Amino acid sequence: MDHEQRKAHALAMGGEKKLAQRKAAGILNARERMALLFDNGQFHEAGLFATSERPEHREKTPADAKVVGFGQIGGRNGAAVSNDLTVMGASSSTVNGRKIAYAKDIATRNGMPLVFLGESSGGRIPDNMGARGMGASAWDAHQYVRTRETPWASAVLGPCFGSSAWYTCLADFAVMRKGGTLAVASPKVTSKAIGQDISEEELGGWQMHQQYSGLIDQVVDTDEEAIEAIRTFLSYMPSNANEAPPTVGARAPATAPAKLNELVPVDRARVYNMARVIEAVVDGGSFFEMKRKFAPNLLTGLARIDGRSVGIIANNPMQKGGAVDYDACDKAISFIVLCDSFHIPIVMLVDQPGFLVGLQGERRGMPGKIMSNIQALQMASVPKISVVLRKTYGAAFVNMGGGRNSDEFALWDRAEVSFMDPGIAVGIALGVDHEKEPERYEALKAQLNADSSPYEIAGMFSAQAVIQPHETRDYIASSLAIHTRAISGGKGKRLLSVWPYR
Amino acid sequence: MAKTIDVIANLTGIVWQVDVAAGDRVAEDDPIITLESMKMEIPVCAPEDGEVVEILVGKDDPVEEGQVIARLSAA
Repeated sequence: MDHEQRKAHALAMGGEKKLAQRKAAGILNARERMALLFDNGQFHEAGLFATSERPEHREKTPADAKVVGFGQIGGRNGAAVSNDLTVMGASSSTVNGRKIAYAKDIATRNGMPLVFLGESSGGRIPDNMGARGMGASAWDAHQYVRTRETPWASAVLGPCFGSSAWYTCLADFAVMRKGGTLAVASPKVTSKAIGQDISEEELGGWQMHQQYSGLIDQVVDTDEEAIEAIRTFLSYMPSNANEAPPTVGARAPATAPAKLNELVPVDRARVYNMARVIEAVVDGGSFFEMKRKFAPNLLTGLARIDGRSVGIIANNPMQKGGAVDYDACDKAISFIVLCDSFHIPIVMLVDQPGFLVGLQGERRGMPGKIMSNIQALQMASVPKISVVLRKTYGAAFVNMGGGRNSDEFALWDRAEVSFMDPGIAVGIALGVDHEKEPERYEALKAQLNADSSPYEIAGMFSAQAVIQPHETRDYIASSLAIHTRAISGGKGKRLLSVWPYR
Repeated sequence: MAKTIDVIANLTGIVWQVDVAAGDRVAEDDPIITLESMKMEIPVCAPEDGEVVEILVGKDDPVEEGQVIARLSAA
């Protein structure tokens, strides 16, 4: 073959028939995905002529099943690895392992984000079988090291076993197309190993991940939406850890801040949807929610306030009363790690009745998880702004940025802060039964309520401000304008950048 | 036959009120029952759109996390 023939062969991927089947199913191929990711469909390819090392596979392994390229994403440099399922199931081989390592190295050296477009069947059997195969596959002592010099994003766009699963779990943002699967091993291998029939959906489908595993940040319907989600995620991020996040033009919030008064019921026993509150605080249309259905009692997501990237962590009373449980701690930790790694200020909107107590949490080791959450928050050196809307009780006061666990800690004028709900305190700590001594119970409860006033904590300067609901957005924006970390060029210390999560 | 959807309590508490009755049509996130827990009135919501087939708990019943409290048939 001459050069042009070789090039055409490589660009033809797994052949017309397989490509046509994908097209008929509405699924993009590896190169179409790359073209959609990069501005104007343009990318600088590395390894077009790579093939399997095994002579018998060379002809049938165009680009050895993983397309690697560099280009512009939203006007800034980025790198990507796109798995080509039409070539030997995009299985991991010696040569395409080198291609991934190269993409990681070049993205890191040159300070640009790295994107994985995942769809792979796992290790390639001939390359990985036997003692020599395993020996060769574990030759890189830094293969799975993440120090987060640049943001990584991953899309699950089909079956993701092996490397596509591992890199999704290492990424800072993971999106899954419905119909994709992410698991340790395929249903066929799993069912055989444990003698139980398990469907692909049960094992690693979108519903499982969004509700139970928490490995996936967003679920979408199409390849196009998945790639758009990655481009949007990266728009909040600096290109690398030596930059502050980009700032864009400010936009008015979708809901007028004056509405905050009515969005949050005064009665602390009543619930409401915190997502509506966020819309009255952040720039219109900027809330990019992550892990919406996983631990929905705590909302996390990127957003902008006055054009600045921020990370929102907010209790959601609509679910579990907004109480922080084991999964919510995990969700908070992974999000704090993301924000701290890339200099994104954290804004906490607080309304929580205390940690969710009970057997389920204790069996999983809730106290340990609470400590990991607090440790992550205290180690995070990005600006932290915490605003209590209605109440904050118990040790979760610290987890949600109470006192000096934020750069600025403020409370709404009607907020309550205490060690526990006054109703519980009268009964448990003071031992007064409402049934037996109703008048004494009510008098003590009224006293404890008065002691829980925001002006008490502001009076000892453990809170920096007491504000009215409609002032929330302006107060946070004004705080962010002060807490800029200008002394270090808008950057934090990134102590959490090596914290493994997911 | 329409798919049956279990409505599962996501926390432990006491049934404070039942918000719907068999035969009612509900949308995703509509409250099915309200639990009293953590000194709050916390709804257990429909996971998907559907029609209420049966409610398995009544007022003042204790409910455990993970317990099926109602069944819906998919819309």
